[in-house]
Order: sequence, then structure tokens, then C-alpha cells
Amino acid sequence: MDELQQQLQGTFLIEATELLANAEQAFLQLEKSGDHAHTVEQIFRLAHNLKGSARAVGFDEIGEFTHTLESLLLKIKEHKIDLSPPIIDLLLRSNDHLTTLVDTLKAGQEVRCDQILKQEVADATAGKTPNQADSAQTISSPAPPSDMTAAATRDADDHPTGYQSFSEEPAPSLNQEHGPSEPRAVTNEAQTPAATMMNTEQAAKAPVEKKVVVQDDSIRVSLQRLEALVNHIGELVILQTVLSEQRQLIPSLFLQKTVVQLGKITKDIQTISMGLRMVSLKQTFSKMQRIVRDTTKALGKDIDLELIGEDTELDKTVVDRLGDPLVHLIRNAVDHGIETADQRIAAGKSPNGHLTLSAGHAGGKIVIDVTDDGRGLYADRIRAKAIEKGVITEHQNLSEQDIYHLLFAPGFSTKSEVTDLSGRGVGLDVVKTNVEKMLQGQVQIDTTPGSGTRFRIILPLTLAIIDGMVVRSAGDRFVVPLTHVFESVRPQPKDIHFLTGIGQVMNLRGENLPMHRLNNLLGIKSKDEKANLQETAIVVRHGGQGFSVLVDEIIGRQQVVIKKLGDELGSLTGITGGAILGDGHPALIVDLNELIRRGGSQAKKSAIAHKGVA
Amino acid sequence: MSKHESKTELRSGAERYLAFTLGAEQYAVPLLSVKEVVALPETTRVPYTPPHFLGIMNLRGQIISLFDLRLKLGMKADNGPESAVIICDLNPLSFGVVVNSVDSVLSLFKDDIKSKPEIESKIKTDYIQGVTQRQGKLVLLLDVAKALSIDEILAIKRNAAANLAS
Repeated sequence: MDELQQQLQGTFLIEATELLANAEQAFLQLEKSGDHAHTVEQIFRLAHNLKGSARAVGFDEIGEFTHTLESLLLKIKEHKIDLSPPIIDLLLRSNDHLTTLVDTLKAGQEVRCDQILKQEVADATAGKTPNQADSAQTISSPAPPSDMTAAATRDADDHPTGYQSFSEEPAPSLNQEHGPSEPRAVTNEAQTPAATMMNTEQAAKAPVEKKVVVQDDSIRVSLQRLEALVNHIGELVILQTVLSEQRQLIPSLFLQKTVVQLGKITKDIQTISMGLRMVSLKQTFSKMQRIVRDTTKALGKDIDLELIGEDTELDKTVVDRLGDPLVHLIRNAVDHGIETADQRIAAGKSPNGHLTLSAGHAGGKIVIDVTDDGRGLYADRIRAKAIEKGVITEHQNLSEQDIYHLLFAPGFSTKSEVTDLSGRGVGLDVVKTNVEKMLQGQVQIDTTPGSGTRFRIILPLTLAIIDGMVVRSAGDRFVVPLTHVFESVRPQPKDIHFLTGIGQVMNLRGENLPMHRLNNLLGIKSKDEKANLQETAIVVRHGGQGFSVLVDEIIGRQQVVIKKLGDELGSLTGITGGAILGDGHPALIVDLNELIRRGGSQAKKSAIAHKGVA
Repeated sequence: MSKHESKTELRSGAERYLAFTLGAEQYAVPLLSVKEVVALPETTRVPYTPPHFLGIMNLRGQIISLFDLRLKLGMKADNGPESAVIICDLNPLSFGVVVNSVDSVLSLFKDDIKSKPEIESKIKTDYIQGVTQRQGKLVLLLDVAKALSIDEILAIKRNAAANLAS
């Protein structure tokens, strides 16, 4: 019994988060388009649903609060109360409070709802109604004959007597009657293939009528189980690879054929399993809408946010880690990018700023753009600022792209005054770090001074698999992500020079690149120094700076499934994970950039030591 | 599993331990912390780790770290035909430990377990939880977390930090 209750509560919390996110979306919609019967109806249903389920699983605090809120919503629905900005604000705050309550419950803590806020809501409900006791009667007469409203009216009938006396019985039953159908309808809206940009745009303006409800039954599966499945499939793929490599040894033609067949099916299964982790960007994008609203309000600007391609699907991990960078880019665009109304009019633009957040596929990658029609970036100003801040020196020669990328340098902020919202100097560097380190992606900046800036985030489809280059160094195999490899060359002895204080340098088509040995960078002693006939240099270019890393040999190119190493190895810099190679042996995935950054001085020492030996 | 003893004793109220041999000594760990026992796998070295960190191994698609307790405790690490790896599952850590042989499952009551002999020693012995007797031989009850992980994680982190600093 207890366990069942706990399970139910867990499910409720997941569901509640979704309901609240949807509700927030709807509230923001209201603010944009004024009174909108369908939206109000939608919010009302969401609130009602939340109340019902909360009570059913024993979260009375949430139930009570939602009940109060529901009464207010009912009045709005019945046009008893106008949807004035203060009311919408109150609704949003209530929504926030509920989100907090749910989050607290998720963390396994006790909750108490905010009595002051509840009172505020209750006051607002009472505010426009002269006689509370009469309200229930007046409500029931104009009620449309839909199930939902009838149910709501029953609730409203209970209201004047107070929620304490609200009997336990109706709530769960209401929930059973209407509960299950509601969230599905909402989720379906989310899944409606309004994939094309135009569609989404229209949908954003008219939320309910235009959407076609497509029935697609779905079940909720825990991420843990999914990950276990994906893991096992990964192993299956490896075994399958081994099997097909050995298939020539099988005498029976029939068995050989079966192995090929098995290979095909395994590939299909892998593709499907990878797709299981994909979730749409909808929730993340919705959050941005709220951020734009709050930020513009605080700054007194008027900015429209346009969302495009919010149905684009991404790996769950990617979506989770994308939130922070997007928040920073959006805030930056609202705060710094888009001018104030006066400035815009002076520049001959419309007073309303326009911000576009779009997502889509391009060439096997996911592209996410944050585009504003603001003042754009001025390379000379950024450069001057960077010199002032000591990020670069006066003599450094940088391309325009490089200069734009200085925005992402830690401790850089082009605005002199620190505002409440952004400009604390911690903002944009998070974007670069998150996108490049955690997401294996790239950030590009395009700007036209005077007419706007576009920040483009390019991400791989999944983090679980990378294209890797398998190399051997000092007898061990390592995987280098192919995205890090610019080129690989086999250096001639005459190309390799030694410079005191710098170490070994490789001359590549007239350019001198610092040269490191992979095994030295990793602190592994090479077994025999001489047998290096196959020695190959991997050239890595990161920004303007390039370097090369010597390995004994490049074994090949392979798609590898990234495996997490245990916590006991979590702090090793330069090693991003493990991978299981075709023969079933594990290998480490190395991040050469990280290794160089960490071991610059150490590599020099080793290079000298190596020279001493040679 | 082993020629020493493969009979499992079952008594209610007792806690069960997996007994194994390290060098010439008998040790045991709580059975609940043992996920499985596998044959000695091939390992891949990991840079900047202490000597008794043997590397990483492939456990049916999962990569886990492999330690050699014998090196840690200052014994010789000779592997014989009976050598095996005990996969310990100490939430959230999961790792393998090489042992000379896996012997039996003991079920011990509280009063079967004596406190360890107190001796003046510079070597920390807090990884020994207690001592019990099996057929005239002493069996040391091991706290693997203490014997390895906590120390080791710190050591590895220190190593990494030292490398970062240098």
C-alpha cells in the first residue's frame, strides 16, 4: 500500500511538472493575445487536473492551493474577472509557487504552501464578486454543457463552504473521469507535427483551434531502464561486429548469411534504441519564453520572441545541458543585443525588438539559432574592450570571427555598467564551455552592425556515439574524437626541430607547430623509442592556435559508444570517457586540447627528456 | 569454485560473507557488496593512476576500474589459475578487485566476529572490520571501501591535481 502510494506520488510529480510547464505556456499566451477563451479553458482544465491528482495521491497542500487558484480561474473563465496584467502576474506567480512545491516534493521534502499568496489569490477571486455566497449559483447558470465545466461547477459549488469540508470523494472520481484524457490531449498538442516553421508560427498565435490532435499512444519509461537497454544494445553491436569480422571462418554458407542478416537487424535495433532517448526541445524553448518575458519587463523593452522548430528532437542529455547556454544567449540578446525603443526609432527600426529562437537539422547536426534584430557587434569595440580587460594584448592579430569569440572569454562583458540581468562577466563563457566541452558542439557568430546578430549553436545528434580515430601510443590504444582532428601527417625527420624552451616543433608547409608525444602527455613510458617508423602526427587546430601530437600509428576510424568511467576516474583531465573497441577491449577517449592545456609545461619537460635520451 | 571449501552454510540471523584468498591470507567481504565474480580480464592502462590501479576492463559493455588489493596491502601480485576478479558494488562506485582465489560463502553471527587484534603499528588497519576463525585459520573481514576506494579516489585526485599544478 505504502509503496503503491509512493509510486503514484512519483508519477504525479512527473505529470505535475508537465502540467505546470504547459500552464505557464498558456499564461504567457494570455498575456500576449489578451483574453482568449480557449486558453483560459485550457488553463482551467490543467489546474483542475492538477488539483484532482494532487488530492488523489495525498499531496493536500498542492490540492488546496490549486483549488483556490481554480476558483479564480473559474471567475476569469466566466468573465467575472478581467484578465488584467496584475491578474496574469498573480497567476504566473502562483504557477511558479506550484512549480517550487512540486520540485520540493521531488526532492523528498515536506512542503507548505505560501499562505500569503493563497490569500492573495483568494482576495483576487473575491475582489470582483460582491457576494461570495451567490457566486456559485450565478456560475452554474451560464455554464456551457461540456463535461468539464459541469465538473468545475460542482467544485465551485463546494467552494463557498471552504475546502476543508470539501469531501475527499469527488476529487479522485473527477480525476478518473477527466484526468486521463486531459494530459494526453495536452501532450498531443506538443507532439503535433507542426514541424515546419510556418506552422509553428501560426500555432503560437492561435494555440487551440489550429492544431490537429494526433493520437499516438505512449508510455513513460524511466531513463535508467532506457539507458540499461541502450547499453546492452551497444554491447550487442560490438559482439555483432566481432561475429561479422570472423564470419569468413564459418564453413557453412547458411550461417554466414545468417550473420549478415543479424548484422542488419542489429543496426536497425541500434538506430531505434538511439531514437528512444530523443526528446523535443519544446519544454526548453517554453522556458525561454518566460525568460524573455521577465527580462523585457525588467528592462522596460518590448521584444517579441518567435519560436521555430520547437519540435526538433535531441538526445535527452543534450537537451538538459542546452538550457543554461540558451538562457545566457537569450538574456544577452535581450539585454545587450536589442536596443531600447528610443534607440530603435532613432535607428529607423520598429520600436519592438524581434528575437528568434529556432532549431532544425542540417547535415546530420542540430542547428540552434538565437537571432536578434538589435545593434549588432562592432569588432573594434570588442577588441578595445578585450585589450582593456587584459583578455588579449594590443599586438595580437585576430580575425573578425576570433574577435567576436572574445565575447565568450571568461570575465568579458562589453557593457560598462553591470545590470541586474546580465553583464556580470560570468554569462557568455558558460555558453562556450557548455557547448564545446559538455556537448561536443560549436558556437558561431554572425553579425551585421546596426541590424542584428545571430548566435548559432551546432550540436551533434547524440552524445552517446562519436566518430573516433583509434591510435596507438606506447603500446596502448586510444580514441581521439574525429572532430578534434584537423589533419594527420607523417613528418619527415628534417621537419622536426628542437627549440630550447619550447620543445619539439614540426614544420608543416612552412608553419611551425609545437609537437607533443601522446604517451608523454599521458605520462606513459614508451616501450621502445626507436621502432617509430609509422609515427604519425595528428594536427589539432583550436581557434587560431594549432599543435600536433605524435602517435605511433593510426589504427583506423571507428564509431564508438562513449562509456562513462567510474567516479574514481572522474577527475582525470584530458580523458573524457572510455570506449569498447571492436575486439571487446576497452580504450580511453582522450581530449587532446585538454591534455595540452593541462600538460603544457610537463610536455616540454618530457620533450627535453626525450631529446636527452635520443 | 575452489578446492578449499564450496559448501555454503545457511543459518538464519547471520550475515553472509564471501571469503577469498589474497596472497597466503584469508579475507572476507559482505556478500551484499559483491555483484559477481568473473575471470581475470584484459585491462587497459590508465595514466596517472597508482600502481595498484590495474586499469579499466570491459564488463559486458560497462567499463569499470580494476584494483589489485595485494599491491595495495604490500603483497606479491602473482596470479594463478584460480585468480579471479570480485566485482564490488558499493553505491555509487562499482569496481573490480583481483584476488588469488574465491573460496566460500561464510555465514557469521555477531558473536562469531572478534575485534581485530590491537597492535602498535604505523600501518593503518581500519579497513579490517573484524576477525573470524575458519578451520583454525584467521579470516579478516575487510571493508573494501576503506581498503581501497576512499583512499584511492583521493590519491587519484591528488595525482591529477599534482599534474595539473606541475
